[in-house]
Amino acid sequence: MTHGQVTRRQFLAGTTVAVGALALGRPAHAKGSVTAAMYPGTWEEAFRMHVAPALKSAHDVDLEMTPLFAVDQIAKAQAARGAPPFDAFVLDPGPRVTGIDRGLYEKFDAKRLTNLGRLSAGMTDEWGVTIAAQVVGIGYNPKKLPKPKAWTDLLKDPWVSRLGMTGFQTTYGTVSIIEIAKQYGGSETNVEPFFTEIKKVLSKVAAIGAPASMPALFQQGQCDITYTNTQTVATLRGRGVDIEFVKPESGAVSFYTTMHVAKGSKEIENAYKYFDTVISAPVQTALMQPPNNFIPVNREVKLARDLPMQSLDEMAKFVHHDWAKINPLRAGWIERFNKEVAK
Amino acid sequence: MTTATAEIAAPAARRWSAALRPAEWQLVLPLALAYAAFFLVPLVLLILVSFFDDEKITTMGGAQWTKFLGDRFTWKVIADTLKLGVFTVAATSLIGVPVALVYLGASARWQGVILFVVILPLLTSVVVRTFAWIVILGREGVINQTVLWLGLSPAPLRLLQTEHGLVIALTQIEMPLLLLPLLSVMSRMDPNLRDASSALGASKWRTLFRVTLPLSLPGLVAGCMLVFASSTTAFISQFVIGGNRLVYLPLLIWQQSLVVYNWPLASAAALTLLVSVGLGVAAIAAVGRRGHAWALH
Repeated sequence: MTHGQVTRRQFLAGTTVAVGALALGRPAHAKGSVTAAMYPGTWEEAFRMHVAPALKSAHDVDLEMTPLFAVDQIAKAQAARGAPPFDAFVLDPGPRVTGIDRGLYEKFDAKRLTNLGRLSAGMTDEWGVTIAAQVVGIGYNPKKLPKPKAWTDLLKDPWVSRLGMTGFQTTYGTVSIIEIAKQYGGSETNVEPFFTEIKKVLSKVAAIGAPASMPALFQQGQCDITYTNTQTVATLRGRGVDIEFVKPESGAVSFYTTMHVAKGSKEIENAYKYFDTVISAPVQTALMQPPNNFIPVNREVKLARDLPMQSLDEMAKFVHHDWAKINPLRAGWIERFNKEVAK
Repeated sequence: MTTATAEIAAPAARRWSAALRPAEWQLVLPLALAYAAFFLVPLVLLILVSFFDDEKITTMGGAQWTKFLGDRFTWKVIADTLKLGVFTVAATSLIGVPVALVYLGASARWQGVILFVVILPLLTSVVVRTFAWIVILGREGVINQTVLWLGLSPAPLRLLQTEHGLVIALTQIEMPLLLLPLLSVMSRMDPNLRDASSALGASKWRTLFRVTLPLSLPGLVAGCMLVFASSTTAFISQFVIGGNRLVYLPLLIWQQSLVVYNWPLASAAALTLLVSVGLGVAAIAAVGRRGHAWALH
């Protein structure tokens, strides 16, 4: 080796050290960070805008988000086998129950939340905390169709020929189909009457689409009536789409969105601070405003006028479902739906 | 060892040692390891997982395969998936080959323009392209507004969520995959061959069918294989444009893996897709070889 010259080995070693240092060197955090799985779109934008700054200023914790739908979070956590790619889940009831079944969450200690007293009873359990509510009913275009009254109207003229629907892949799709089935004599565990009825009108249905494409299909006039949640209706209205939300006669469906600590998370402390921030009154108030349109769970939040209820106590009057009963049947329903609607 | 045999053996040994010189095989090692780690191992895992009977992957058995392949609906879905691939290959070829011929006859400047237009779809995300097709094919979309304005139909045509609508969209989405290999082969073609054909008295059509097309066949076959493999597995386009009434294998895989978490069944469906698309691609290659042999005769 000669002085003043770098051998290949030295060059390689130097490069490795430099690249390694770059990879390891993370920005310095005072109190660290928390990685949260987050629904893409409205949710992610709203959390970036309101939750991340609030968490930073209240607890000096940075919020990092991984955009994933509920079903994808369960699949990823399950595939990761104890080394979760994120610290906190945000889930709808179906995937939540699957996560409990498969042991994907740390046990939850509600007493660690300083805002616990501001939530209604039953908003926390041994697995997680409720952070928002969703209300599902009928969304329709009042310029194109008369106002529907009941779930059964969806399968009748003139609505059925403008109906856009999804299958059992989503929470809102599943609960809506259950409610339609109930009106024809079915129940939470028996959707057979829905299949009988849909077969009669299948050729008239305007669109049976991918869940993610439904807002676009409505916006483009491919369908003018669909089952959906209040948040989607508010978001579409915000974009100038003619759409109104209707609570069906038999009642709108409500379900809760919950958050959970991922099993094996290294940032449990920060995950609790994150949940506490999400349910705090100022953040919940901000999340309720357009264009976010969340339904809050903190009792101190003064409800916006266009929400489908005057007070959070009314939530008890909405239709609720037991996902522990629904989940085992869902695979069969999805298969059945494929076969019944396939051309 | 005699001198003569040593002279014969020496170059062979040199070739042998040259082929296996450590420095060179070491160069291939990273790719080979990456291939083994990120393709072979997952593939073996996929095969293993498909042989579990329960969703929680605890009991081994062939129940998922029996269930999946024993269902007539599965075979309909496989047939529909392959049919979609064939239609898309046919449509892209029908439009792509004339475009390639225009490219062949164009000046260098225009060739650049055509190439840019061909690559253009690749510059936008497939999700954006797919959602754009909702706007084009929709009830109140560009095509339907034109049709109604021209009075060609009293009511809007149903294009979204139909097989022909999906084939139209996939034709645009997959076109670069057909054209890039085709153009690359065509541009390497010796122009003297076509001139010679004309000079020997062949008409333009005869030159096209006896010289240009046979010589571009390898590019066309490569393009068709890419389009077939890509269109049969294009989950986003199939689901967003085709909707839930057109059921293809990727939709079944998604439902089983991400909605109901039945990974054994999802694995069986994924392997079925892999095998059926592989067979389709092999069939295109075989047709291509036959066609090439026939054309050279």
